[in-house]
Amino acid sequence: MLIGVNKEKRLADQLARQQAMGQSYWAIVRRQFRRNRMAMWSLRLLYVLLFIALFGDFIANEKPLYCRLDGQTYFPVFRQYAVTLGLAKWEAQFFQKGWQEHHYESVIWAPIPYSASTIDRKNSNFVRPGGKQRIPSPRFRHWLGTDQLGRDVAAGLISGTRIAMMVGVVSMSIATLIGVFLGALAGYFGDDRFHASRSRLILNLLGLGAGIFYGFNARSYALSEGAFSVELLKSLGILATIMVLANLLAAPIKRLPWFGKKVRVPMDIIVMRLIEIINSIPALLLVLSVIAIIEKPSILFVMAIIGLIRWTGIARFIRAELLRIRSLEYIEAAQALGYSEWRIIFRHAIPNALTPVLITIAFGVASAILLEAFLSFLGIGVPPQQVTWGSLLNLARAQFSAWWLAIFPGFAIFITVTIFNLIGEGLTDALDPRLKQ
Amino acid sequence: MLQYLLKRLLIFIPTLLAISLLSFGLSKLAPGDPVDQSNRGGMGDAQRDLINAERVYQEKARELGLDKPAFYCGVSPVAFPDTLYRILKREQRENLSKLTAQYGNWEQISDYYHEIKTLEYQVQQLPANQKSDGVFTARSTLQQLYLAHSDVRISSLLDGLATAVEKDTALAPTLLAPVLVLKGKYEAIKTKASRWKLYVPSFKWYGLNNQYHHWITGFLQFDFGKSYYDSRPVAHKMKDALFWTVLINSLAVLAAYLLAMPLGVLSAVWKDTFFDRFSTLALFMLYSLPSFWIATMLVVFFTTPEYGMDWFPSLGLGNLPDEAPFWSRFWDTGAHLILPVFCLAYGALAFISRQMRGGMLNVIGQDYIRTAWAKGLNSRQVIWKHAFRNSLFPIITMFASIFPAVFAGSVVIEVIFNIPGMGKLTIDAIFQRDWPVVYTVLMLSAILTMAGILLSDILYAWVDPRVSYSKK
Repeated sequence: MLIGVNKEKRLADQLARQQAMGQSYWAIVRRQFRRNRMAMWSLRLLYVLLFIALFGDFIANEKPLYCRLDGQTYFPVFRQYAVTLGLAKWEAQFFQKGWQEHHYESVIWAPIPYSASTIDRKNSNFVRPGGKQRIPSPRFRHWLGTDQLGRDVAAGLISGTRIAMMVGVVSMSIATLIGVFLGALAGYFGDDRFHASRSRLILNLLGLGAGIFYGFNARSYALSEGAFSVELLKSLGILATIMVLANLLAAPIKRLPWFGKKVRVPMDIIVMRLIEIINSIPALLLVLSVIAIIEKPSILFVMAIIGLIRWTGIARFIRAELLRIRSLEYIEAAQALGYSEWRIIFRHAIPNALTPVLITIAFGVASAILLEAFLSFLGIGVPPQQVTWGSLLNLARAQFSAWWLAIFPGFAIFITVTIFNLIGEGLTDALDPRLKQ
Repeated sequence: MLQYLLKRLLIFIPTLLAISLLSFGLSKLAPGDPVDQSNRGGMGDAQRDLINAERVYQEKARELGLDKPAFYCGVSPVAFPDTLYRILKREQRENLSKLTAQYGNWEQISDYYHEIKTLEYQVQQLPANQKSDGVFTARSTLQQLYLAHSDVRISSLLDGLATAVEKDTALAPTLLAPVLVLKGKYEAIKTKASRWKLYVPSFKWYGLNNQYHHWITGFLQFDFGKSYYDSRPVAHKMKDALFWTVLINSLAVLAAYLLAMPLGVLSAVWKDTFFDRFSTLALFMLYSLPSFWIATMLVVFFTTPEYGMDWFPSLGLGNLPDEAPFWSRFWDTGAHLILPVFCLAYGALAFISRQMRGGMLNVIGQDYIRTAWAKGLNSRQVIWKHAFRNSLFPIITMFASIFPAVFAGSVVIEVIFNIPGMGKLTIDAIFQRDWPVVYTVLMLSAILTMAGILLSDILYAWVDPRVSYSKK
């Protein structure tokens, strides 16, 4: 008993102090997080990695950053962006020779004067980092060696950073969207709070069926032969339109006697079953067998699939938080004010439940990067010409003497995964109320 | 408790059903024709003979059960016939459905398809001495027509066919008329297009005699089907693989537990000492080290003479013959297993000892431990008798759920160390699109995972009487 009283007193003191200092919840979290030195260093390293991912083109590029050729000034790296967007074209002279074969009047190269896919024929077949390299000047040295084709490993690592970060960000964004939405539905409504009129329920099911039929079955030819992404968007548009129409139609039909009756939908059971199904297959196997059906491998599919599978942890967190939040007074107040359920969920409940999700996201990014690295290590789901950390590491298995291919890419994976794990740990500590003293 | 158990077991059913549908659906979406895959090699001369080849194909399809409709029912536009599955060759079937998806008139399309077939037989039955360029063009064009669905492509193929036949004086009298008929049939598809049929849904019921039904009823009777790849029963393939996976996983989990428990306990007891800080950091590092990196590094540095550290045998399980004395085979295999087991164990080790430390710290703060100290018990008794025993609960229950995780992890290790276990079998099956094996692995691993979770829940209630699942 005595201990309990003491603790309460301390907490009350702390609360008073916080209010006096005008500290918000976030300020406390931030202060707790800052205290964790490892986590802070990880965060700083993460900024570096993000910088490399964003500006990788300026760090490792076979094109010069700036050059003067025949009295003309060019900024080839910048120009590449314009060319990619279709705003500019390369002069013919740049097609005829490699970038390093021109005689520039003056030139500034990127720090690593190779792109990930540049093939340096003179230095092919696994050139060692410290060994003799056939290069015009030390400026063009392959600091981390080359692979069998003569591609620069350092440049490969830079492009791998971009892919790893993209995998982490994109797949976890997808996972967060799905996880937060479904978790919030399950947590807020539980098994007994979600009621829908029969008309809405029936029309939604019908609309879903019709939307899939008219969006996908009836358009199968356009989908398989046309530009896939455009056609897919059109199909999704058709599906969405039909769903909206179905819901608009539901309102008038609801007035009919039988259709107006409310039916209880056990949201929690539905979502939890879904989570259980996904969790009962090892993620790696699931991802592998889904990727096996894709004919044209692309890193985007890998990200999407990882995102579609890895949302369960986030959904569980949000669900648990909303189960707690939904019985708090301010939600009751919002209900009493007559706000709609959806407004309460999205404006009032979810924003207060998002913080602990950060922890799951941090760990999720780590596992997504690891999963993608392993997939490209196996050569599954990533186009062969794409250089990633995993694909570089895989090359080491073909050539045992190339130690640099075994060490550097793996180290990059290790560091990145550790950074996200440490940030996750730091967040756990900072958000854990028991440690707030 | 019994009620709870029954309820949990009942929940297995819909989950497994969903997983079976998922894996079956994936296999149907996957590219590639399993019959062709299964026929690879073995065909030899038969392939050259059209009628023979078709017969072999049909037999194989029947053997694999692919001559049946895929599922109990389906929804498709009214334009598609419900007998489409009877066209066994997957690429032809897909091409026909692409044509149907464009024009929506199955009657004309099937007329056109049969006309190609008749023409192919006619070309086939030409006397053997009539081997001109015309015959060759006709044959290859017909093959391409089976796979052509865009208007431009079909028109140019048909025109090419017509000119080739016309030019060849030996062919023209017999083949020109049928070629023109074929052209007419294709024109009919275009003129009599009924695209509205694509927008009317129709529900099709195929009955119980379908591929899914056969597979799932077989699965429930422990008949997992035959591999598409080498026609061996899946159960046989798995039996060999399972032995190795279970062996290395048990060794790894055992080693991890034996090391992790004292480590966790000691670092909890000596909290905030150098030992604790160091082991926490080291274990955290271990936990974050990607096992496929470590495995690759070990293979590169320790199994090759390249760096003067050729301490372990190379990949695989060794190749001593079965007649070799048991002990020498034992030591040889053992030496091959050291690195894989290490790679599997270190991740689990870090995880378990972190849990152990956490559990121990929780217990040490409890009142009864303070009482034990106050009674004057010595530290060994307090730690090992009172604290350790009570902090064991979560660790024991974790045992059941750690197996599925290690199993998934062993995919990585088996591939790198080339151990013929379940993980390697699965990866190979996925690469070879050997779906019967993939189905079975997915289903079994799901069952294993769910059973593991259930088992750990039950164990938890069993070791800790405070936990109860029955309703009060």
